[in-house]
Amino acid sequence: MDVGLNSGQLALRDSVRDVLRAECPPATARQAMTDPDRWRTVWKTVVDLGWSDLAVPTADGDSSFGRMDLTVVLEECGAALAPVPLLSSVGLAAGLLRLAGPAVDDVLAEIGSGVVAALAVHPPGHRLPGVPMTLQDGRVHGRAVAVPGLPRAELVVTLASSADGPVAAVVRVGDGVTVHEAECTDPAQPVADVEVDAQAIAIAPVDLESALATPLVAAAADLVGVAGAALDRATEYAKTRRQFGKPIGAFQGIKHALADNYVALERARGLTYAAAARLDDPATAVAAGWNAAALAKAAAAEAAVGCGRTAVQVHGALAQTWEHDMHLYLRHAWQGASTLGDSRALYHAVGRRFVGSAA
Amino acid sequence: MTQAELKTDLVAEYAAWLTGFLPNDYYERYREYRWDIGLRRAHQRAAFEGGWLQPTWAPEHGGRSLGLAEAMEIRLEAAMRSAPKLPNVAGPGVAAPGIRQFGTAAQIDRLLIPLLRGDEWWALGMSEPEAGSDFAGLRTRAVRDGDVFRVKGRKIWTTQAHQSRWCTLYARTDPDAPKHRGISCLILDLESPGVAIEPIRMASISDETFCEVILDDVEIPADSLLGPANGGWQVAMSSLNHERQMIWIMNWVEIQRGLSSVRDSQATHDDYASGEVFAELGSLLADAQALRATGYRALNNELAGRPSPEADILKLLGSQTLQRVWELSAAAAGPRSIDDTDLLFERQDALAATIYGGTSEIQRNIIAERLLGLPKG
Repeated sequence: MDVGLNSGQLALRDSVRDVLRAECPPATARQAMTDPDRWRTVWKTVVDLGWSDLAVPTADGDSSFGRMDLTVVLEECGAALAPVPLLSSVGLAAGLLRLAGPAVDDVLAEIGSGVVAALAVHPPGHRLPGVPMTLQDGRVHGRAVAVPGLPRAELVVTLASSADGPVAAVVRVGDGVTVHEAECTDPAQPVADVEVDAQAIAIAPVDLESALATPLVAAAADLVGVAGAALDRATEYAKTRRQFGKPIGAFQGIKHALADNYVALERARGLTYAAAARLDDPATAVAAGWNAAALAKAAAAEAAVGCGRTAVQVHGALAQTWEHDMHLYLRHAWQGASTLGDSRALYHAVGRRFVGSAA
Repeated sequence: MTQAELKTDLVAEYAAWLTGFLPNDYYERYREYRWDIGLRRAHQRAAFEGGWLQPTWAPEHGGRSLGLAEAMEIRLEAAMRSAPKLPNVAGPGVAAPGIRQFGTAAQIDRLLIPLLRGDEWWALGMSEPEAGSDFAGLRTRAVRDGDVFRVKGRKIWTTQAHQSRWCTLYARTDPDAPKHRGISCLILDLESPGVAIEPIRMASISDETFCEVILDDVEIPADSLLGPANGGWQVAMSSLNHERQMIWIMNWVEIQRGLSSVRDSQATHDDYASGEVFAELGSLLADAQALRATGYRALNNELAGRPSPEADILKLLGSQTLQRVWELSAAAAGPRSIDDTDLLFERQDALAATIYGGTSEIQRNIIAERLLGLPKG
């Protein structure tokens, strides 16, 4: 079982980290909440550096990007709270299309070149992702909620039921695609509901579980990044803030909370890397791949929200202010936690499969 | 032949060996066999002779000179197949690595083979009434007197001392040094005059019985020093580190058994309340997979010569998960849990996991101070 990062992936991680440190300090996310075009300059850098090319799967034996590399880049973007649609477009939308075959090659190439896509897989009234649309005579029809990155997207990728079984379908934002934008938890990563009655530009039959596994792992990677960054910030603060004559990090109340955060973080990271490696391995059974991806996403959301909450607690009243960064991490974590299935719903689904009952 | 195929062949060879050793009805009657000391002794001896006991060690020491990665595959396979538990884990698991690393040629020659074959059992003389988590605060004194150390003191929670021939005894040899630097490890023959051993009745039916060991002017030959004089702290840390790498695998297999028991009891009743077990079950499945993934990740980092900080979560995560899984098992069994004495034992036994080998509180301090760099309290 190969679950760690190899030296190439470690080098990729470091270079992504360096670029983001220079181009995208956490304040960038705060600016993007009020300036609707702030994300574009960061996105241009991301596309120029070729990170969006991760959308396009490469043939076996190619030394370039696999899902493990995508995981590495998304983790760093999450850690930097980069207000770019890399997760929503490349991780989620392109991730769903990864196994959809040659019918979507042109769409993936477009996404790879920086055209922004969004993934609509939340049927109204469901906690877990599913099939929100129908397909008839080449037209996609239906409604989906909480579509990440939709306000910035030119393409919508969705799942639709058809007479021949489930398909992945792509429509272009425009006539017949209504975007219902509203305020959201993390305005740096806006989401919106969508209503579709439009001609598909690409259709491909898919296996639902295989299709959703990559987006789940991608979402997990982003949240692992957020968790790690929030823990780093809390740890640094605990070393410097002094009360009762010593750094607050010397008290076990703080120390043990942060140690538990570290366990949650590494638990999630291990699951995420293992799930990504599993998906990159063609021998993985479909159900095993989905289970691993779902557990990774569930664990990563717990870690991100847990680390974010502790970080707020450690920073005290300071963390209740707009100017402090802590609410940025927690907004991102909370929003991501509710996307593609909240942790309890995902755990429940995997637990139920394990028991093998239809209760 | 690729590396992966090689590994699979090796695991298959081990699996065939184990199957050949075990009685035909082992799995049907596992509940009885798990207490069968005769079978467990025979298994240890056979594993030693077959080279499966310490797979990374040389053939003369019960191994076959495997790499760490292959050895982990073998240990996991053993765990998944519920191989009989070593009757005296402290021997092969903790004392043997210490002897192998720090022992003189004469000590290795005399002690290692009977230990590995299971002919002589070992106890770990670490905890004292006033030195539990604060191991370095131990008070047992050893004073050099010519060719011997004269030892006075008390050890407690010394597992299986009443059945053991030897004890790795940690005693203070330099009372003036800082507390970590004044401790030595002595190899004590428990048959020596002045040694009194009192077994302590356990709360559960565990056969890993605690003892109190009272040392009243015991003479230990000076050449029984294991490692350097006043170097006992390093001997202890190094021996326990070896154990820690195996604790997560032991936890993992117990967790697998617990998860299966939840599945089995879920199948026996179908009232609506059973559904709420699923979310906790999913969370525990994540813990189990995370343990394994993290174990491998730490190993890969070690093999590549990189730091492996993630290894420090294994003990804490594994022991906590183990307790949660048996609590869920009890919930899933409903009132049937009350007359299930096997389950009672599992729940009681799991309570020890967050205590032995460094309590969870100490593990959190280690993570916070060593990995996160927070100041000592």
